[in-house]
Amino acid sequence: MTSYSKNEVLIQVKDVNLSYDKQILRDINFAIHNIVRPGLSQGQVVSLIGRSGIGKTQLFKILAGLIQPNTGTVLVGLEQQPVKAGQVGIVAQNYILFNHRTVFDNLRLAMQHSSITLNDKEKDALINDYATKFDLAEHLKKYPLQLSGGQRQRASIIQQVLTGNKFILLDEPFSGLDALMIDRVIELLLKISTLDELNTLVIVSHDVENSLAISDTAFILARQKDKEGATITETLDLIEMGFAWNPAIRENEKFQHLVAQIKHKI
Amino acid sequence: MELLKTIFSPLTQIKGRTSIILIVVEAFLALLLWEIVGQNGLIPVPSKILTSVVAIVTSSYFVDNLFSSLTLTFTGMGISIVLALLVSYLSLIPVFAPIAKFIVKCRYLTLTGLIFLFTLLTQDGHQLKLSLLIFGIVPFFVTSLLAIIEAINVQEYELCKTLRMNNWQTLWEVVIIGRLDQVFEVMRQNFAIAWMMITMVEGLSMSEGGLGTMLIKSNKYIDLGTVFGILVIIFALGIFFDFLLRNLRHWLFPYTKIQVKK
Repeated sequence: MTSYSKNEVLIQVKDVNLSYDKQILRDINFAIHNIVRPGLSQGQVVSLIGRSGIGKTQLFKILAGLIQPNTGTVLVGLEQQPVKAGQVGIVAQNYILFNHRTVFDNLRLAMQHSSITLNDKEKDALINDYATKFDLAEHLKKYPLQLSGGQRQRASIIQQVLTGNKFILLDEPFSGLDALMIDRVIELLLKISTLDELNTLVIVSHDVENSLAISDTAFILARQKDKEGATITETLDLIEMGFAWNPAIRENEKFQHLVAQIKHKI
Repeated sequence: MELLKTIFSPLTQIKGRTSIILIVVEAFLALLLWEIVGQNGLIPVPSKILTSVVAIVTSSYFVDNLFSSLTLTFTGMGISIVLALLVSYLSLIPVFAPIAKFIVKCRYLTLTGLIFLFTLLTQDGHQLKLSLLIFGIVPFFVTSLLAIIEAINVQEYELCKTLRMNNWQTLWEVVIIGRLDQVFEVMRQNFAIAWMMITMVEGLSMSEGGLGTMLIKSNKYIDLGTVFGILVIIFALGIFFDFLLRNLRHWLFPYTKIQVKK
């Protein structure tokens, strides 16, 4: 097995409860650790898997600091401070960008309030560098409406990376994509995760197979019998299971068996 | 034969050129029918209206009247846009929201009963006309602008938060510059209301002239040829400005062309 260690906590969710007219989320507890692999900038890719309508989007917004839970806290960063909007990047399912700005301007805007301190020239160079890395260089002058779904997704992810956020939440990143595109998205996300040691991608999805294939850790969000509200019912350490960091893992028989088991559970 | 089948089939997309041919042919047929059937009627036929249009346009008083109407319309529109934008943007600050809601309801307030009040409040005929025009347009403007603001996807505000913008920066990015193209579209649509109202308000104070004044005077003497001639001019100018504003929108905001294509 590849040598690795799980070090400091990067994101910690403590006793989160959310209810409106009924309980949506109940006693959500989990932690994401910094995974260190010698000689690599190994970021973290974590999945929150649950079926549609279970409350994933609400948890997504709580993690991003966009809504407050009724009780509980979300702590982020090495300092473990309560999350504030802007500390965690989000990539919505429909890849929201500002339609009145070109792709370049959208990316430039992300750097306006960024934690990265660069001068204008350096900022432009960084944008061009990312655009080249993620096949967007020839689309920088286009408006978002001129991009394909995949290009929009890439622009949206890069926009969040450029804010300097190490933590990025992705809502259903595989939704509505064909098999070929899914492979490209997985490749892209793995690339993003390895840009920095602390980069942490949290994928919120109902797509069990692809989420497990890309992740090092997965949390299953489901309802327990006779209890209201969804909670974390299972944590899968995919590194320990030998399923992480393997591009061909979807063809593995044991992995397929795990996928079938989880599909049955959610 | 295939073309005939296409133009009579529901939900069929027709190409731009076919669409133009259809408009021209149908307009021509309608005018021809009017010309033939209306020979002995009270309403003047197209050829007589066309003669009147030429006579009006070449008359010495036309340019002055046209200029007077256009000045009043553009001044009214300009002030109305500024007021409506101010009210709409301020409506996002809770303390100003009731004012915006009240102005929206003012669409149901008739101008006729308020003319006396406006006469007392204004100093001359020009101010009276301008005030009535603004009072007539602003509620419609604010209604359309508030609809645009309400239709904004909440995810855009969330994106601003993740990009670490404060509330003022979010307001600027999403509501003000992000919706400027739609404001322009609202302006184009409401120009029609202003242009329609111009003839009414010009009738309240005729000293400055204007197309409305010309229309009322011709109506008084039942000079139907001139009345219809002026109506045609007003109609044509309205369509011309609509075309101009639409193209100006595409030029100022190139991304709106992509939306149209999609």
